[in-house]
Amino acid sequence: MKLFEYQAKETFRKNGIPTPQSMLITSVDELGAASDMTGFPLVLKSQLLMGGRGKAGLIRFVKDRAQAEEECAQLFASYYNVKKILVEQAVHIKSEIYLSITVDPVAAKHMIIACADGGVEIETLAETAPEKIIREYIDPDSGISPYQMRNVAFQLGLNGDVMKKFSSVLGKLYTAFKANDAELIEINPLFITGDEDVVAGDGKLSIDDNSDFRQNTYEKTREYYDSDAEYESALEGIPYLQFDGDISLMCAGAGLTTTVYDLINYEGGTVANYLEFGGPNYKKAVRAMELCLKNESKVILVVTFGTIARADVMAEGIVEAINRLKPDRPIVTCIRGTNEEEANRILKDAGLVPLYDTEEAVRKAVSIAAGGDA
Amino acid sequence: MSIFIDENTKVLVQGITGKEGRFWTDHMIGCGTNVVAGVTPGKEGQKVEGREVYHSVRRAVEQEDVEASMLFVPPRFTKDAVFEALDSGIKKIVTVADGIPLHDAIQIRKAALLEGALVIGGNTSGVISPGKAMMGFFPYWIERVYKPGRIGIMTRSGSLTNEVTAMVVKAGFGVTSLIGIGGDPVPGTRFAEMLPFYEADDETDAVVLIGELGGSMEEECAQMKRDGLFTKPLVAFLGGRTAPEGKRMGHAGAIVSGGKGSVKDKIEAIESVGGKVAERPRFVGDYLKELLGQ
Repeated sequence: MKLFEYQAKETFRKNGIPTPQSMLITSVDELGAASDMTGFPLVLKSQLLMGGRGKAGLIRFVKDRAQAEEECAQLFASYYNVKKILVEQAVHIKSEIYLSITVDPVAAKHMIIACADGGVEIETLAETAPEKIIREYIDPDSGISPYQMRNVAFQLGLNGDVMKKFSSVLGKLYTAFKANDAELIEINPLFITGDEDVVAGDGKLSIDDNSDFRQNTYEKTREYYDSDAEYESALEGIPYLQFDGDISLMCAGAGLTTTVYDLINYEGGTVANYLEFGGPNYKKAVRAMELCLKNESKVILVVTFGTIARADVMAEGIVEAINRLKPDRPIVTCIRGTNEEEANRILKDAGLVPLYDTEEAVRKAVSIAAGGDA
Repeated sequence: MSIFIDENTKVLVQGITGKEGRFWTDHMIGCGTNVVAGVTPGKEGQKVEGREVYHSVRRAVEQEDVEASMLFVPPRFTKDAVFEALDSGIKKIVTVADGIPLHDAIQIRKAALLEGALVIGGNTSGVISPGKAMMGFFPYWIERVYKPGRIGIMTRSGSLTNEVTAMVVKAGFGVTSLIGIGGDPVPGTRFAEMLPFYEADDETDAVVLIGELGGSMEEECAQMKRDGLFTKPLVAFLGGRTAPEGKRMGHAGAIVSGGKGSVKDKIEAIESVGGKVAERPRFVGDYLKELLGQ
């Protein structure tokens, strides 16, 4: 689960990492109270999960009250559906650093990534100037040692008091990384201010969903998702991605669903939505089809090849979904795996024409989407 | 020969008295696996399929000769169960748990590396040497998929493995051993770490990789081939060729890759060392024939 900047910064503060003075507001009316706290100039930061907020004009630097009110109103009214704005004191910046912690799956270690050019996207930097990226590997059992913090600081060219303050921030960031079961924790940029303070200018925190049972600090609410369908499917635990094509995918298995997505593109078709109802969700056919039907797709394509997700149970689910939801569009099925003979009998009894070959099923769906016979 | 497991490998089942453990232990025995005992804390004295159940792995290995452990343990207890098996000196461990916390997975892999053990999974169907034995849950009864033969298969997927392997069999081949590395971002064992076993196996003629976008495991295999540590024909099928950038499609693996791991990069890496990458599942068999000169 990706958190908003203001939530990441809450976590930073809890762990003792300095952040600029700030207040979260949900309407222009609250701007006065916020600016009394931060003073001017200040920064209006739209709280959205998308990257590149600065380029999209969603972060505004303002000098006085009149400008703040005007720009704040613009942001709340913008196309991006801004619901919350973080009003933040503008800091006098001397330099900017990139700092993050993630995991290295090969070495089986935690990995600190740092760069003296803060503010840039690290993916871009990895391509354009990989030599500028500093990496320090941390043993997950021993944790971080002070020398490792100093290693990073010295490579960044820091000295004296700033080096000490940076090391302290890095140590605290590592504590937060572990305590929150983070996939990624990132400060980009980390400001070195004119007063030689080290302050988190931005914050990213992505918490591993598999750790929900011991984290569960943040409830999954609609604001974390781009569309209603993505939100509803997330609540169900059904992997779902929204597209705007003609064919709704209702498949099982991440790898197989991704492959069907590819095959549709090869055959000249387009995908309306990616949906997996395999694994633990194989009994959720009705819910899965409901999500598919919310799209303006022309056909639903079901492809499975399951083991524990028994083919006959999935076929029964499909038939039940058809009876309950009375879909207004054709359904192409290719259900294989454990008990597939029984599955095909169930589908035939319900008047469907079960297919056995994935590519044949994909071609059929693409042809229907193009106006062909069902 | 087989990779990782054959009909002689002495297998312990951790979590044997659970619903899943019981069901799949029955099937593992049914397809030839030499299950010697089981473990469930608090259930010592019971029997499952005629095998003794012990309180702990330590108590089990005192009584039985054990070479490998199969875990039917929920994700949140998997780290503990893996550590318990490693502590008793078991060097081959398979965990099928789907949902192991990332930070646990890092510690599991680190412990495995330290002990010189192979931990396969999580988020996998396991390991199978068709006709001999399996650890995990494969629909081994589907003959058009799980047919014995001379092709090694490694995979990050479940359903897609059935899809692609069915095509390998349709082309007239069969499988020596299939290793489900699993779909997690930090698998206990990586593709490249299994290649030396296939290289050394006289009964494996070629290896098929079933991969997808994200991570660097396919690139690591290409590096093994470049370094001459793997010399047999290599054919890959990779899902996600047309996946749009920025969408989290497929397994969770992509998140930690930091900009690397596009299918395009993987294809270049594999083809640059003489491997083949099939655009569609059914082409895998054609490439195997081509590379094996059949």
